[in-house]
Amino acid sequence: MPYWDYYEPSRPREAKGGIKAQSKSGFGSSWWAKRWLAVLDSYGLGARLTRGRSYARSGQVLSIEITSGSVRARVQGSRPKPYDVTMKVATLSPAQWETILEALSGQALFAAKLLSGEMPQDIEQVFQSVHLPLFPTMRDLGTACSCPDSSNPCKHTAAVYCLLGEEFDRDPFLIFTLRGITREELMTRLTGLGVSATDDSQPAPPPEPLAADPTAFWQGTPLPADLWQEVRRPPVSAALVKRLGAFPFWRGATPLLEAVEPIYRDATARGLDVYLGESAE
Amino acid sequence: MLLLHAGLVAGRFVVWGETEAAPKTGTGGRAAKAKRLAAVPSLWNASSESLVATLKSVLELPRASVLNSENFLVWLPTVKGVPVPSSPILAPFPEGEVACVIAPWQVNGVALSWEQAITLLCACAGRDTLEGGVLIGNTLCYWATAMRFTGALVARQQYLPGLEKAEGGYVARWRPVLAGAEAHAASALARAMPGACRALSTEAETPPEVSAIRVLAEFLAETCDTLVRSAPPQSLSLPGAVTPKPRKSKSAAAFDSLHDQWLFALRSADGRMQGEAKELADFAAQVQEWRRPLFLSLAAPFRLCFRLEEPLLEEDTDEDADKKSGDATWYVRYLLQSVEDPSLLVPVADAWSKKGVVTPLLRRDDFQPREFLLTALGQASKICPEIEASLKSAAPDGYILQTRGAQEFLMEKAWMLEQAGFVVQFPAWWTRKGTKQRLTAKASVKSPAMTSLAGLSLDTIVEFHWEAALGDLLLSREELEALARQKMSLVRVRGQWVQLDPKEIEAALAFWNKQKQDKTSLRQIVRMALGAERAPGGLTIEEVETSGWLQEWLARLNGSASLETLPPPEGFHGTLRPYQQRGYEWLRFLGEWGLGACLADDMGLGKTAQTLALLRSQWKAGGNRPALVICPTSVVGNWHREAQRFCPDLPVMVHHGLTRTRGDDFRKEAEKHGLVLSSYALLHRDFELLQNVPWSGIVLDEAQNIKNPETKQSKAARGLEADWRIALSGTPVENHVGDLWSILEFLNPGFLGSQAEFKRNFYFPIQANHDADAAERLKKITRPFILRRLKTDRTIIADLPDKIEAKMYCNLTPEQASLYQAVVKEMTEQIEEAEGIQRRGMVLATLTKLKQICNHPAQFLGDNSQIAGRSGKLARLTEMLEEALSAGDRALIFTQFTEMGEIIRKHLQERFGREVMFLHGGVSKKERDRMVERFQEEGQGALPFFLLSLKAGGVGLNLTAASHVFHFDRWWNPAVENQATDRAFRIGQKKNVQVHKFLCAGTLEEKIDALIESKREVAANVVGTGEGWLTELSTAELKDLFALRQEAIADAE
Repeated sequence: MPYWDYYEPSRPREAKGGIKAQSKSGFGSSWWAKRWLAVLDSYGLGARLTRGRSYARSGQVLSIEITSGSVRARVQGSRPKPYDVTMKVATLSPAQWETILEALSGQALFAAKLLSGEMPQDIEQVFQSVHLPLFPTMRDLGTACSCPDSSNPCKHTAAVYCLLGEEFDRDPFLIFTLRGITREELMTRLTGLGVSATDDSQPAPPPEPLAADPTAFWQGTPLPADLWQEVRRPPVSAALVKRLGAFPFWRGATPLLEAVEPIYRDATARGLDVYLGESAE
Repeated sequence: MLLLHAGLVAGRFVVWGETEAAPKTGTGGRAAKAKRLAAVPSLWNASSESLVATLKSVLELPRASVLNSENFLVWLPTVKGVPVPSSPILAPFPEGEVACVIAPWQVNGVALSWEQAITLLCACAGRDTLEGGVLIGNTLCYWATAMRFTGALVARQQYLPGLEKAEGGYVARWRPVLAGAEAHAASALARAMPGACRALSTEAETPPEVSAIRVLAEFLAETCDTLVRSAPPQSLSLPGAVTPKPRKSKSAAAFDSLHDQWLFALRSADGRMQGEAKELADFAAQVQEWRRPLFLSLAAPFRLCFRLEEPLLEEDTDEDADKKSGDATWYVRYLLQSVEDPSLLVPVADAWSKKGVVTPLLRRDDFQPREFLLTALGQASKICPEIEASLKSAAPDGYILQTRGAQEFLMEKAWMLEQAGFVVQFPAWWTRKGTKQRLTAKASVKSPAMTSLAGLSLDTIVEFHWEAALGDLLLSREELEALARQKMSLVRVRGQWVQLDPKEIEAALAFWNKQKQDKTSLRQIVRMALGAERAPGGLTIEEVETSGWLQEWLARLNGSASLETLPPPEGFHGTLRPYQQRGYEWLRFLGEWGLGACLADDMGLGKTAQTLALLRSQWKAGGNRPALVICPTSVVGNWHREAQRFCPDLPVMVHHGLTRTRGDDFRKEAEKHGLVLSSYALLHRDFELLQNVPWSGIVLDEAQNIKNPETKQSKAARGLEADWRIALSGTPVENHVGDLWSILEFLNPGFLGSQAEFKRNFYFPIQANHDADAAERLKKITRPFILRRLKTDRTIIADLPDKIEAKMYCNLTPEQASLYQAVVKEMTEQIEEAEGIQRRGMVLATLTKLKQICNHPAQFLGDNSQIAGRSGKLARLTEMLEEALSAGDRALIFTQFTEMGEIIRKHLQERFGREVMFLHGGVSKKERDRMVERFQEEGQGALPFFLLSLKAGGVGLNLTAASHVFHFDRWWNPAVENQATDRAFRIGQKKNVQVHKFLCAGTLEEKIDALIESKREVAANVVGTGEGWLTELSTAELKDLFALRQEAIADAE
């Protein structure tokens, strides 16, 4: 029996508010997350991968920052100061992107899905058809960690890698970012036009001085006859939230939709009471 | 009196008030001193004490709770240095050309929490006053409407969670998402906002100029957030659910993530988020980014529209096509609908066109059709997988689906798409509730052979059989089975698409295969015919086919055939007018069949007389068993007098007052009488006693008293047993859907289903969805049991004299009675010794005092004391005016005492929140002409009540707008009274006029009236000159005249 088995494995410090893996099994349920994680599996990390996964589950990863071609993360290990994990990802050239975008415009689905924050099912085939992989292979990846462990990738890197799978689940654009194209650029080139700048705040209406005429001042004008439209208890709750889809980088214990659906239902009952003029209990 | 107002200042909802201006003498010094300040207190400024006390009472806050009043500025229209108040009750609006400026005034204001503001505004809904003397000002009224608007948008779930930067950090908020029709409605609501709603400020230099739309947006946002945040959980009965505790903010460390904290803060009291500023700012940006696609779509000048197109029908519209209807090919087409002009629908092909080429139809500022379409379809594909599948081509314009898919689209997907803000268009045969054509059941009843209805009751059993129908088509058993085999909810039957519930068909088939014939009671048949029942399997019963006597009987019930003519009841003294005779026959008809009846004739058409005719006839028919009449305390005396007048041989027992019979004697005593009169208060208090009597029938007068089914008196009313039941109401009960259930449940238990069923089937659809079908169904079920005739009905007018005079007997309150007795005692002690002029003076003084007491203790005491709840007459007047107001009628009220006029005026203004004019001797000619003009005016601002002193209002006025004349006290001079009455009744009057002469039962008022009635011709000569003749009566006669009879006293409630 090798002697090192006598040592207690070092325990990481408890970390609060870290990014906790959401799914009970695996990291990320979407095909593209799985596709990403398959790369990690191909390293054959063994026990380091297991530890990495449990790190990811217990929220040891404090932050992840994704930029074009690189990932920076902080992971709480056994030392007080968190370790810095960095990953370098090879980016695709503008010319390569041009080829890919041309191929993507064959199906409206690709643009529609990407615009609404989802990864189309067969997008990878489009990449393959032009011989440019969307997902980096081992060759395209360089990883480093500030921990004393000399093996690379270490468990900290593995944890970050696992969580990235989940992040990609919610924001597939991150894969594109890693591969060298920003969301905005991708959109502009997919729709053929720039993305409209929108904001839900409207331009401020002009000032409106008070009328000195007592009747206008006190009584205003009669209410429009068609002020009240049909008010119906919605057959499905939280439709607006459903339309918006999953929240990117969700870290809550309950998925957003699941958490707000009962709130919408309860509020409908109260709103109906108020509308119908019944006293709110 | 307090007139409440409200406005928004710096995000707070501030309530302020107006009240009568303090007497000039008291404020002179203060006003002079205050001149040096930027703004002086408004002349009408309500005190902080009255504001705080009123709000605590309305909001039901504990007395010890803290509600602080602060100083605010309100910018008001000001004429010659005096602010113009909101209502003419305080001071008239300036007329003609006057210089009016906006100037700041100081007022006391109370800033409410938004939760409190919501409670206050909900309490204001549909009312003029909050409580006696607390009037809802125009501004508060406006905010109450805006509050309902928030309620509607919360009910429709038009809002999203957000995270906003606020003073001192970030706050989680629910924010309204207004788009399309709702955005239009909101701007219309903003345009209607009175300037006064945004006139509050804390700054004295410049008047507030913030636009109405911004003020409204802020209000909607705050109330929406509060409603959603604090909505009580509906799922308390679910396992694991716990009663929510008030959520206080927790520190950031208590949460595993910012997301958890956000979810918590969306339901916490203040919504505050804690944590590092940078992290919160990043998160807020993410929330914004997440919401962005929706706002992108909503801000666009187009909406994505899905149109379901039905399969083209080929030539062979025969049964073969019907059978294959499951394989038919449907299409959901994508279109772009213009927001501005919804009739403009652009095929999406135009939007798919490549880079830079935009078809002219889609050309709008900044609008990028391709991006819009991609984004919208991407969002829609999350709701509907078929949409996703369609996106596999480069420029899809829709997708194909089979009938099963169309069924799913119609019943499920379309809803979800609409909810998410997309537009959906349906084939013409589809309504929101399903296909226009539905499978229904038809029951054919065989009338048992018999020649007369004698011996029949609702419990009679009749045979009938079922058939299935589709509109006018009857379906054979085979056809029905074929439909069931398709196991589809959407099928084509003889060329028409019809929605069915296969389970319904199967259940109906299973039942009908077992027994073709069915038997049931006549009561069930009635319910089926009125649509209150469903066929086996849940099918709607479209028709109950009957023949012979049953057909005739049902026709009578639903009013399409006239009722049997009956002779007027024996022992009824009086003549029923033709419509009253019909009312009596109707009451008899329903009563004999054990069905409850609601007689809801307009005030003054003689509901009491019709009911008494029935009571008299049923007394004999019901084996001399007593009937119970429950009425408001204020009319117990009147019922008693009317019963004596119309049915002199009907023994009446008044169960009322402190001396009423209790215990075992009650039943014995009651059974000796034909009619027992009691009040609503005792209905509950003496329920045990009342329950013990085998009543022949029960009458509820002013049945709106049981409109709330949860009150003790409503429960008690439903708990009494009787052969027949009648509810009387002068208000249009059928217009108040919410009140209908309780009254109908008393009359005919179970007809409208349980209260929850009623809410689901009728109340919500009618009130919230404006569902005309549901309203029609409700009408069908209730029509046979409600009879309402209006004075204005042509047939009724023909039956009515132009002027109907009636005496209204009122009760004294215990306070009035004890004052009355004290005065009488004093007089009888002194009169023995008095003589001549002294005696005459004493008699006249006593007479005046007693009349004052009958009017109101405050008039007698002359002490400006509290008004409400102390006078039987005033209570009755208020009730009757309320009824007149609900019918849209106008009324003249005469009194001979100026002081009493002031009391009535003050009371009515505070009770109804409307200006009441008072014409008395001190009013100038010019002013008087203006009053007459205002009373006669038509339209929205019309004043419903006009108070006149008998002397000033007696001559030279033309007040034909009135249809009611009240004589609050009596002159005992018919000529003078008639002259006054004739103000309303002049040539040119097209309405009938009802004259109500008020008397206090059991007092000298009643006795003198009886004396005059008995010697009418003598009266004209002797009495006509005034009250002098009374002084000539002997002491014994005087004592008898003045003595108070016990029954006059009302029970304190």
